[in-house]
Amino acid sequence: MTVLVIDDEPQIRRAVRNALISGRLFSGNGDSPMVSTPTRSESERGVRVIEAVTGREGIDLAAAESPALVILDLGLPDMSGIDVCREIRRWSSAPIIVLSARHADTEKVALLDAGADDYLTKPFSTIELVARVRAQLRRAQTTAVPNDSIVTIDDLTVDLERRRVERGGTLVHLTPTEWLLLRTFVTHPRQTLTHRQLFRAVWGNASGDAQQYLRVYVGHLRRKIEADPVRPRFIQTEAGVGYRFEPAGTP
Amino acid sequence: MTRRQRVLWLSWFGALVVVGAAMLAVRGRLDKAHVALIFLLVVLGGSSAGGRVLGIALALGAFLGFNFFFLPPYLTFAIADPLDLLVLVTFLITSIVAAQLLYRATSTAEAATARAAEVDRLATLGAETLNLARPEDALRAILDVIRTTLGVVSCDVLVHGTGEGFVTVARSPAEVNGGEREAGAVRSKPSNSTEGGAVLGWPDTTDTTSAEGLVGWIFVHGRGAVELADGAIRIVDDPPVETARPDRSDEVRALWIPLAVRNETVGVLRVRTPGDLRLTLEQARFLDALAYYAALGVERRRLVADAERAEAERRVEALRSALLTAVSHDLRTPLTTIKAIAHEIADGGPKYGARVIEEESDRLDALVGDLLDLSRIQSGAIGPSAEVNTADDLIGAALRRADAILRGHAVEVDLSHDDLLTGRFDLTNALRALVNLLENAAKYSPPGSPITIRAGRRDDRLHISVLDRGPGVPVEERERIFEPFYRPAGTPPDVRGTGLGLSIARGLAVAQGGAVEFEPRAGGGSVFTLVLPGAADEVPDADDSDLSRRALPGTA
Repeated sequence: MTVLVIDDEPQIRRAVRNALISGRLFSGNGDSPMVSTPTRSESERGVRVIEAVTGREGIDLAAAESPALVILDLGLPDMSGIDVCREIRRWSSAPIIVLSARHADTEKVALLDAGADDYLTKPFSTIELVARVRAQLRRAQTTAVPNDSIVTIDDLTVDLERRRVERGGTLVHLTPTEWLLLRTFVTHPRQTLTHRQLFRAVWGNASGDAQQYLRVYVGHLRRKIEADPVRPRFIQTEAGVGYRFEPAGTP
Repeated sequence: MTRRQRVLWLSWFGALVVVGAAMLAVRGRLDKAHVALIFLLVVLGGSSAGGRVLGIALALGAFLGFNFFFLPPYLTFAIADPLDLLVLVTFLITSIVAAQLLYRATSTAEAATARAAEVDRLATLGAETLNLARPEDALRAILDVIRTTLGVVSCDVLVHGTGEGFVTVARSPAEVNGGEREAGAVRSKPSNSTEGGAVLGWPDTTDTTSAEGLVGWIFVHGRGAVELADGAIRIVDDPPVETARPDRSDEVRALWIPLAVRNETVGVLRVRTPGDLRLTLEQARFLDALAYYAALGVERRRLVADAERAEAERRVEALRSALLTAVSHDLRTPLTTIKAIAHEIADGGPKYGARVIEEESDRLDALVGDLLDLSRIQSGAIGPSAEVNTADDLIGAALRRADAILRGHAVEVDLSHDDLLTGRFDLTNALRALVNLLENAAKYSPPGSPITIRAGRRDDRLHISVLDRGPGVPVEERERIFEPFYRPAGTPPDVRGTGLGLSIARGLAVAQGGAVEFEPRAGGGSVFTLVLPGAADEVPDADDSDLSRRALPGTA
């Protein structure tokens, strides 16, 4: 398996490379119903890390080597990270993890909208990086949740076909908007969805007054499916960016 | 002639007739001098009560009556004795001169009274100009006086804006959405007029869409202008006096008066009226005096702005020096540690030092983040945000972010409402503020003590309070705790921080139209409250009825 690192800082490239090679990328727990553990042979083949110093070089390498995952630093000398991201996303579905400096929420949002899958702010710990890489690889290998399946996480059961939600055996009444939100979350587990991506999924491309109340609708949804809406187990807030659905929950 | 004047005339002429008839009854026993003196009395009385014209009219009437009834031959205007003619002419001259003198004395007294009133008004206004808290209010007061005393429709004061063009700093009548605004198109291009005086079509510029034209010209040349009914502009040195000119034949619609202080034009006073503006000379002088006060008001406004700028610069300077101290001390200390331990490890020292390097790096990272936030706040880079957010999101994200530092404290969340609390704020900045309050509570309260987060709505604003059982804050320190780099005296050395947390929290809250407030907690401890703009009245209900048309069959 190949991982492409695009970063002009040699020290960061070295740190990322060491972390990926020594970190056990395939030790993920398999207790989530949506996650299939990769086959043994894949993990035994090990990780190959290829590196690019400029955006141009990164795009060429991504095209030539078809990496399983891309780690992209925003501070590239030749072109903006968002352009690199958009270019790779045009023909590749490999997960892209972005490394960004602090105080760049709008940039992060733009990147996620441009097709990036996750981001880490500098300075980050390499343990965190390996965890994110692992999560993205798992997600990439998970086939999409079929629309007719029933997803059960702890006491929450979501029947995607019959549009029924139960919590602890009790039927939960959702409004149409809340249902569309929950369905989007359940079918995109562990993925940070930006506000815009959620708008598009729930309201289509039409823009309307309702969109500015997305956070309010998420609030109402949480009050119906979460035991403690302030310490949510399923729908996590990514401040300034969007929301993420955690099927395994957070401890 | 008013009703009152008519009554006056009738009664005085009545008095003349009555007095004449009475004297006629006893004509045989009267000397000519008696008659003349008594008539003179009536003339003087009439002219003091009804003015010069009545006085002269009475004098003429008395003259005729005297001649007709009291000078032989009676009942003719012929005069037999040349001496009688002398008496008659003397009587006429005396009465007219007396009426004239009396009139002059009266009008001088009236003018003096009027002037005293004007001086009074100016003195009051001068005091107001100096006293009102805001120079804009003083200017508005002056403009109100101009408008009411001269009976004009509107007047305003234009000054140089911060950029190009001119802005209105005060206007009367005040507009609902008053305040500074670009004067924009001050007026349309006037047609040329050649009637009298120096007529300029459009002084000094061809740009008629901005305020540059006439106002700019007045600023440069320090001369005023009047605008005529046909839109023509005439440049004059003293517009009020020009308006008061009695031989003026054209209609004046507006005056443009330069406001000068120490020979420098600081503003332009514009007085407008829909019909012809005709002033008396007194009114013109009064307007000139008021214009000078307006000039002082504009000058004061400029001085106040200068003082505020100087104060802001002083504060930036103080912050900069505090920042330098922080950068040199707080940044270099962890760097020194890192360098020393890295050196030890390179020389084969113990590996556990790497852990210290990691901790010190985190500390550096936190400080850099704080400094960046502070500079963003200070430079005004954080504006209000128009996002509707929930208290759930804010508190939840803050608890997650402050998780490590809150360990060891029992954290209780108390949402007073069952319904969703919302506000209109930027989540990232509000989150940073709330995390800082939580960190502050955790840092300064004893390990294991409970920390409570309480959310509620008060006066349409979202209140999120962090309550601790720490030592509290002494009264005299309660504002200082929000200053950058402040740390309470006697802070134990193991309490690490930059002293920026509360200052950043308040800065981020204020930038969004909110606040951070402190109050002592009953039973010991502190309550820090993050106040954010509310959004209660605009949030849709949970029932989602606006989307019912999209209702999906089978939705549970």
